[in-house]
Amino acid sequence: MTVIIKLIETAVLLAAGYLLTFRAIPWLYVRGGTLLGFDMKVAPHWEKRMKRFKTIKRGYYSFVAISTLFVMSLFLELMVNNKPLFIRYGGHFAFPAVAEWTDGILFFKSPSAVLKRSDYGQTGDGEVDYRLFAAEKRDPSVFDGQVKALEAEIADVRAQLAVKPGPKATPEERQDYQDLQETIPDIEADLKNVTAAKAAFADGKASIIMPVYPYSPREHLMDMPGRPPHKPGADHLLGTDDSATDVFAQLVYGFRISMAFALIVSFTGYLIGIIIGGVMGYFGGWTDILIQRLIEIWAAIPFLFMLIIVAAIVQPTFLLLVSLMVLLQGWVGISYYIRGEFYREKARDYVQAAVAMGATEWSVMMKHILPNSLVPLVTFAPFSIVGTIGSLVSLDYLGFGLPVGTPSWGALLDQGMKYLKYYPHLILTPSIALAVTLYSVVMIGEAVREAFDPKVFSRLR
Amino acid sequence: MHGMTTYFIRRLLLIPVTFIAITFMVYAILRVVPGGPIEQAQLQIKMAMMQEGGSAGMANEQGELQIPAAAMEDLKKYYHLDKSIPVGYGAWLWGIMHLDFGRSYVYSEPVLDVIISKFPISIYFGLIGYLASWVICVPLGVTKAIRHKSGYDTATSMLVFLGYAIPGFVACLMLMVFLGGGSYFDLFPLGGFRSDNWAELTFFGKIVDQLHHTAIPVFGYIMGGFATMTVLMKNSLLDNLGADYVRTAFAKGLSERRVIFVHAMRNSLIPLTVGIGNALGLLFAGSFLIEKTCNIPGMGLLSFNSVVQRDYPVILGTMVFLVLIRLTGNIFSDVIWAMIDPRIRFGK
Repeated sequence: MTVIIKLIETAVLLAAGYLLTFRAIPWLYVRGGTLLGFDMKVAPHWEKRMKRFKTIKRGYYSFVAISTLFVMSLFLELMVNNKPLFIRYGGHFAFPAVAEWTDGILFFKSPSAVLKRSDYGQTGDGEVDYRLFAAEKRDPSVFDGQVKALEAEIADVRAQLAVKPGPKATPEERQDYQDLQETIPDIEADLKNVTAAKAAFADGKASIIMPVYPYSPREHLMDMPGRPPHKPGADHLLGTDDSATDVFAQLVYGFRISMAFALIVSFTGYLIGIIIGGVMGYFGGWTDILIQRLIEIWAAIPFLFMLIIVAAIVQPTFLLLVSLMVLLQGWVGISYYIRGEFYREKARDYVQAAVAMGATEWSVMMKHILPNSLVPLVTFAPFSIVGTIGSLVSLDYLGFGLPVGTPSWGALLDQGMKYLKYYPHLILTPSIALAVTLYSVVMIGEAVREAFDPKVFSRLR
Repeated sequence: MHGMTTYFIRRLLLIPVTFIAITFMVYAILRVVPGGPIEQAQLQIKMAMMQEGGSAGMANEQGELQIPAAAMEDLKKYYHLDKSIPVGYGAWLWGIMHLDFGRSYVYSEPVLDVIISKFPISIYFGLIGYLASWVICVPLGVTKAIRHKSGYDTATSMLVFLGYAIPGFVACLMLMVFLGGGSYFDLFPLGGFRSDNWAELTFFGKIVDQLHHTAIPVFGYIMGGFATMTVLMKNSLLDNLGADYVRTAFAKGLSERRVIFVHAMRNSLIPLTVGIGNALGLLFAGSFLIEKTCNIPGMGLLSFNSVVQRDYPVILGTMVFLVLIRLTGNIFSDVIWAMIDPRIRFGK
């Protein structure tokens, strides 16, 4: 039954993600652009290319799947988290998952503090155990178990107290006895708390909405039976790793971080590559030769090795890793292509016309030549994303990537290698996720290439 | 003098410039950052002195052991740390030119000896991997081109894209899960270059053992260039099949087989040779991802471990080889390219 509910929830989320990605966002984009006074009509030759792209089914469906999943992954804190979307108990209520989401994605620090257990009808210190809260809500008999356990504890303490320390007891033994006596009021207070909570839950004074998958990629599930790593099961779809962290949660958060990383690196790399390549191609002559020599030197640097040297010295953060990747590799490849494109386009009549009409060099480069040189950019982008994700996974796998504790596929692979023989799921999950993701991106790339640059081979038979 | 000879001479002259630029950058980075050789040596000497009960060193007020100033000076002198970065780099470069790469801290051996002892292992795997990818990719690319847009082409394209998507070391890991014993099949060993009992094996046993340890890493190496090479082969053959000279060959009545394999094939193989320079780098330097995954003690693992253990002379030493091989490899493949394809003319 719960399985069916989960499946329905997942399906609804996927549908919502699709609508958001392919209806809401494009609509907002076009509307926003029109309001700001831009002409949001697509140029006819681009429209034709987009139509052609849509006819290539494998690539188009991969594109739909990957972009939907990525847009959805921006809301992961609301879907895969150990904190609830909403919790209410008596007069207290809070939105812990939403607060975490705004912290992480919008960089908007919400003032939410850690929710105390005592405010939410639970015993002990520290943050509320939300999953326990949810279990209590689902099934009030959970309280009976807690009551029974506490009663048993009291009985046990009483039994121990029945044997009073004799006259020959050491001071330590007397102290222990006194300490034991003092625990009784605490346990009784807990018992009262739990019975009160049970009543409150029965009165409908408590409610909670948990995310679909109630585990976080950063929590260590130390209360699970047995020693970690755990094999896949009903609760933990893909098991846990050796620090008892849920693998599925790490996998989906790893997807987000990999994709975001690759998109940012490709985008900034392209930006720099366009500028450098454009300058080289447009101005030519000595500028071209000089920058070419510099690039030749730059390209001869063994890039992954260099990254490792730097990462071994300073603990990289997300931003540092992005900048290193862009600086060392991201811009080089594309600058060659842009250089070639600019070189060719520069000689065309429309550029001469623009120059004759008094356009500045910058506007000739950016407004006239660049839009006509975008084809290699668009066709290479998916492959650059594949390469960047591969590099990130390699770095994480070698232990020189994102900071320890960041959910990442590479770190999972590294773990998997330690448990290669008996816990194959630790390797298979990230590898299959990586393979499926990158395969889809390659499909997109292949379809984009086909749509933008259709090659017809003629041959005789 | 031909235009092309000057071109290649110019490029050869550029090698030292590039080489110095890169090694200087790495040298400067290693010098600037903390955790350098002096700190390493300090740590080692401290440990050694602690074991001896501090007899050689002098304890200061906090009870910490200090290295005698004279020993410190010696150390600094040995690593040229008493000089400024450019001068120290110059001294290091002077040593390199005389084949003095310094001593490894980890192996306590001359760096050159360490590096040379690792080369054959990387070359072994790299060479087999490279040859195997030719043996696999060329026929695959050719058959794909001949049967362009057929079911066979589509099906193998899936395979090619999958090969492009999965990094080589991940493929090795997956193979090790499935075939390395443990959960599924027990066909291949989990990494290593040879078995521990190598010396006791018979001649035939040695061959089997070596091949046994070769299979998985070589698969990883093949995966590395598989997709690019196959697609390159296919596309260049397709290009050639549409060319005028093929039309002529058909027109004079040659069989399709002869046109494809004798005329078109020769020209189609040319673009594949461009990869030789790159492959040369991989051949000597190894892929440290695959070497680490499969625990092969080659150049790749050496350079990786040297970074992990901050073995600076080895980092710089492997860097020297890596950069030199890459630079000469690129020129070498361009020379080959120009030699076999008279249409290619550099420097014009």
